[in-house]
Amino acid sequence: MQESRVPPGARDRFEALYLAHYPAIHRYTQRRTDSADDVADVIAETFLTAWRRLDDVPDGDFTLLWLYGTARRVLANHRRGESRRTALASRLRDELATGQEAAPADPRGDTVRTAFAALPPADREVLALACWEELTGPQIAKVLGCSGTAARLRLHRARKRLARLLDTTDEVRVTAALEGESR
Amino acid sequence: MRKIDRMVSAIDPATEPVVSQGVHDLFEEIVATGPPRRRRSWLPSLRRPVVIAVAAAASVSIAIGVGLPAGGPALEYANAAVSIKMADDYFAVTITDPAADRRRFEEAFRAVGLNVTVKVIPAAPDEVGTLFGPIVPEGFKWRGSIGVQSVTPCSSAFCGKVWMPADFPGRVVLGVGRPAEPGEPYAGDHAYDPSGEESLDGYTVHGKTVAAVRAELQRRQLKVGYRLLWILPDGGFFDETVPADRIKDDWIVNGSRDHSSDTVALYVVPGPGAGPIPDPLKVATPQWYDLTD
Repeated sequence: MQESRVPPGARDRFEALYLAHYPAIHRYTQRRTDSADDVADVIAETFLTAWRRLDDVPDGDFTLLWLYGTARRVLANHRRGESRRTALASRLRDELATGQEAAPADPRGDTVRTAFAALPPADREVLALACWEELTGPQIAKVLGCSGTAARLRLHRARKRLARLLDTTDEVRVTAALEGESR
Repeated sequence: MRKIDRMVSAIDPATEPVVSQGVHDLFEEIVATGPPRRRRSWLPSLRRPVVIAVAAAASVSIAIGVGLPAGGPALEYANAAVSIKMADDYFAVTITDPAADRRRFEEAFRAVGLNVTVKVIPAAPDEVGTLFGPIVPEGFKWRGSIGVQSVTPCSSAFCGKVWMPADFPGRVVLGVGRPAEPGEPYAGDHAYDPSGEESLDGYTVHGKTVAAVRAELQRRQLKVGYRLLWILPDGGFFDETVPADRIKDDWIVNGSRDHSSDTVALYVVPGPGAGPIPDPLKVATPQWYDLTD
């Protein structure tokens, strides 16, 4: 009876966005939590939000940014222990717990991993969005809910701090970095 | 690409996800939770009445159980409120009277071997009869899985599947949505989405001032409730229910949600003078699944 009240086209639209963006949201979540249970929970809550608010989900390139923003908030509240684990994604949780292995870690990256882990969470997030999700400055701004200028500045500072921890230098000077980030 | 970006890219911990059966199951589970939220119509409600209380007259419960000879859980059980039948790996649940006493539901679940707490909770008209949850307040850490999925077509208030390990020792709470009384707050099981929910048909509240939205609600003859929406630096959030005198007219509204038949809750971004972020645990409002009878 519930499904009979689903507006025409809603299921098809949701299915299309779900299948198109599931891999990206899975990777986004996997990069930010170690627990398979949490990965399944955050994916489920993110797409449940998208389903319940389907009218508010933007089209085109903005869909994924909206989902990233939602996943970020779900994850943050999950970490605060306020989220209550519900039953969604039970099979996915089982599959992730038993079937998925972590990517083999290249020992050459240990130094970078250690330095990256030592960064403040906000620096890690903006660097992850740039380097792992491969977002541009304006796209990062959408996900973080800040201005494009603020996103570029945060990214620049995060790069500098990581470079300092690694005792290396970035290849681009400050002014060039700020200009080039609007790609 | 910068050198530093290349170094970060090289430590990307993600693996390529497989679109497995669990991924497809999750899609079906999400869609089965009910339709996307609709906005409160400016026109009088034309929602279809939900078929309820077909058997409500039989309030003196006549329970029918088919059990195992050795006194184990019943294979099926029915009373005036609900019928439950064991299938291969789930229980088929049909709710006929969402407004029945919760003990009728608990009795039926217990008869088939499921130890759950049932709350009969006030629901919005389009969620009457819905089976909410299951909520596992302490988290589900057990073998197997637990879940609820609605089934269509359905000629009763709710038809669905429920599954959980019979030996799960934790607390499991289910909610059955009954029609809320006029003005009675709706119960729900989803946190507010701070990117901005909208509940008013034909009017967007996001980004407008409290004064402007309040005027629109008055025009629609709706009452207003207020929630301060606190956003934390890490992207986390929580809301605090506050009286009207804590809210300034020029603060900005983030979104709205139906609170009851005559009241809309406005989620407001704290403005100047709102004070420091409170302890979320101290301002949390108990949810329906937290309450004990």
